[in-house]
Amino acid sequence: MFDSVQEVQKQLEKQGYICDKRIATVVFLAHRLEKPILVEGPAGVGKTELAKVVAAATGRDLIRLQCYEGLDEAKALYEWEYSKQLLYTQILKEKIGEVMQGTKSLREAAERVGQQDSVFFSDQFVVPRPLLHAITTDEPCALLIDEVDKSDPEFEAFLLEVLSDFQVTVPEIGTFKAKHRPLVFLTSNDAREMSDALKRRCLHLWIDYPNEADELRILETKVPGMDRKLAQDLVAMMQRLRQVDLKKTPSIAETIDWARALLALNAESLGEEVVKDTMNVILKYEADIRKAQQELSRMMAARPAAPAAPAAPAPAGAAPAAGTAPAAGAPATPPKKGTLH
Amino acid sequence: MQRKIVEFANLLRKSGLRVSVAEAIDAFKALDELEIDDREVFRDALRASLVKRGDDVPTYDQLFDLYWSGFHDNLKNAFEQAAGALAADGIDMERLLEQIRQMLESGQVPEGEVDLSDLARALLTGDLSELEQMIRAAAAQSGVARIENMLQIGFFGRRTMEAMNAEGATRELRDLAARLRAAGMGDAEAEAIGRLAERFFEALRQSVRSYMERELQTRNFDYMEKFRREALFEKSFYSLTEEEIARMREVVNRLAQRIKNVMSIRRRRLKKGKLDLHTMLRRNMARGGMPFELVFKQRRKDRPKLVILCDVSSSVANVSRFMLQFVYSLQECFTKIRSFVFVAELGEVTQVFQDHEVGKAIEEALEGGGVINVYTRSNFGMAFHTFWRDFLNAVDAKTTVLVLGDARNNYNDPKAWCLRDVHAKAKNVIWLNPESPSAWGFGDSVMDKYQPFTTLAEECRNLRQLSKIVDKLVL
Repeated sequence: MFDSVQEVQKQLEKQGYICDKRIATVVFLAHRLEKPILVEGPAGVGKTELAKVVAAATGRDLIRLQCYEGLDEAKALYEWEYSKQLLYTQILKEKIGEVMQGTKSLREAAERVGQQDSVFFSDQFVVPRPLLHAITTDEPCALLIDEVDKSDPEFEAFLLEVLSDFQVTVPEIGTFKAKHRPLVFLTSNDAREMSDALKRRCLHLWIDYPNEADELRILETKVPGMDRKLAQDLVAMMQRLRQVDLKKTPSIAETIDWARALLALNAESLGEEVVKDTMNVILKYEADIRKAQQELSRMMAARPAAPAAPAAPAPAGAAPAAGTAPAAGAPATPPKKGTLH
Repeated sequence: MQRKIVEFANLLRKSGLRVSVAEAIDAFKALDELEIDDREVFRDALRASLVKRGDDVPTYDQLFDLYWSGFHDNLKNAFEQAAGALAADGIDMERLLEQIRQMLESGQVPEGEVDLSDLARALLTGDLSELEQMIRAAAAQSGVARIENMLQIGFFGRRTMEAMNAEGATRELRDLAARLRAAGMGDAEAEAIGRLAERFFEALRQSVRSYMERELQTRNFDYMEKFRREALFEKSFYSLTEEEIARMREVVNRLAQRIKNVMSIRRRRLKKGKLDLHTMLRRNMARGGMPFELVFKQRRKDRPKLVILCDVSSSVANVSRFMLQFVYSLQECFTKIRSFVFVAELGEVTQVFQDHEVGKAIEEALEGGGVINVYTRSNFGMAFHTFWRDFLNAVDAKTTVLVLGDARNNYNDPKAWCLRDVHAKAKNVIWLNPESPSAWGFGDSVMDKYQPFTTLAEECRNLRQLSKIVDKLVL
């Protein structure tokens, strides 16, 4: 499927995912060595997206398991379908009576039931959950275990068996072994550190915010029809914003949202007004918005080719933090509507 | 190659990265799958299989550069310089080497007499990778792994040269020149070979030296880093420089994150309580009320309420600074935090922490937060009395009161009874004192008066002690 690192890069690009060589190398290796990838990095840099596009590029089905606190085997691996079992016992009552005919003692009856119990614990009554599904599926697939850091440590330990051997044991039935090793992606936001044992079994990929050129390319792929100059300004501004110490640093997802918002507003250039009005698309905390605005007005003032000439004196006096904060809150709705439709 | 990877893995381990054998094996396998002529790909492949924490990536990158790159380039540089120097003397090195090689191959020189060592051969054929390996082997033989400081570079360099028998090789080249002349080579060329040998020797010496330097850097890379980190943990708060305060802030943040992780696991563990009959029946309706799925009541661990009294006089400011940072990084582990600062007067700064982000709020609080004058002499008695009078209702049976101060009271009235009343109301009173217990109660210290009314009084002079106490506080 993938013959070289360049090939991976090209294929992913065809799916609309721009990635650097580092990502491509790891994907290539994971594919070749049949090892899971543990993808870490800040929120919104395209960790989940990577799994999706790799699945699409390789033509595999994507099976997704979203992790959360309290996720257990029953929800991740398989579950017995109790109500179906119950229903079947009811329906088969007569048949059971037949089977039991001629038994003299309780012991004998119990033995006879015992001979039959495999009927009720067979494939028929198993509800496969994502992990079992990924292992038993006939076609090769891609498995995405999303936000694995949110799961409990016990679940993590349980994942180890699955990830190292790609097999699961259902005590009543036996062991299922994967026909094709699925391509596994685990994503983590670093809410807690994963155990060494898990890490050892995975290739590790750290996705960071992209550099300016890559981000521009991503933007052009994701939001076509955007004015090139505007896109450049926007990306430059995002790159700058990431240098500021914010509670929640905006990532690529926010860049794209912002671009879409600007497009919806028919903004032609990144003037100060526009930025002020749409700031809340990229920043999610009031304090961040205030901080960023100070930084941006400083940046606007410094920008050599400011689109509007009279913009220069304005930021010096007109953008104190207290004054702009409520202003940013009020026109919040229109750009959001723009992105949501 | 494999040896180099194992060695590189060892190096990473020495620098504090956890690299298991399985991961080193993965690295081999990964390299099998790739064309490793692309340096970036090579670096990424090794990183993906050896480094599993985002924090470790910068260390890896630096070490990678130190270890994998450069030396071959250094070697090449040295020999290019040699060629340049020869060219300046009017000698074309390439042609000369070619000539020698031809003469050797064509057998113009009697076979038995040409008994060149491997080193001389590698020099003549310009086989740099062979040379590189020889240098590495010789360096290993010289015991360069033990190199510790700059002064040893010369020593190990010499030993490496001896191990390779560099002088011997130079001599051989000179002999060769003599023999080639006998076999009919021109005088000028023979002399040029002599020069060549000299230059080669010099280039070799230079390369070995640079190899030693790199070796020293790689070996000491994390040693120094680790040393600094360790030192930071042990370093007394009294003697921190500005830069160390900045670094310390980072360390505190990391520790806080770690505690949070531990907390979250613990809280989950506590979750399962008694059987919740109500919910269970409802949830099992679908199975005719048969309790297939058990449901338990969730037990909550009550999070402590915290009242912090910080002495912000200059002598204890740093302890207060880091304690505040700790506590506010762990905000979600407490139901409520109220913070007070005092020197002689006492004032509440809780609001400051709500208005500003933590770093700024701390700086402000240490300046008195606009509620007290910090430029006075410490008076614990007065501060406690103010607290007792105005804020005693902030303390209830779920509250842990945390006092940070050295209890140096400038011979004022300690008013220990105020603390006694606080102690009676609170769940815990914890006192952190940057002075060691042996100094408590001496001079103007009134720690001995306060100590009976604390649940716990501890020395807290450096980060290690501080983090231990925070552990106790939240767990």
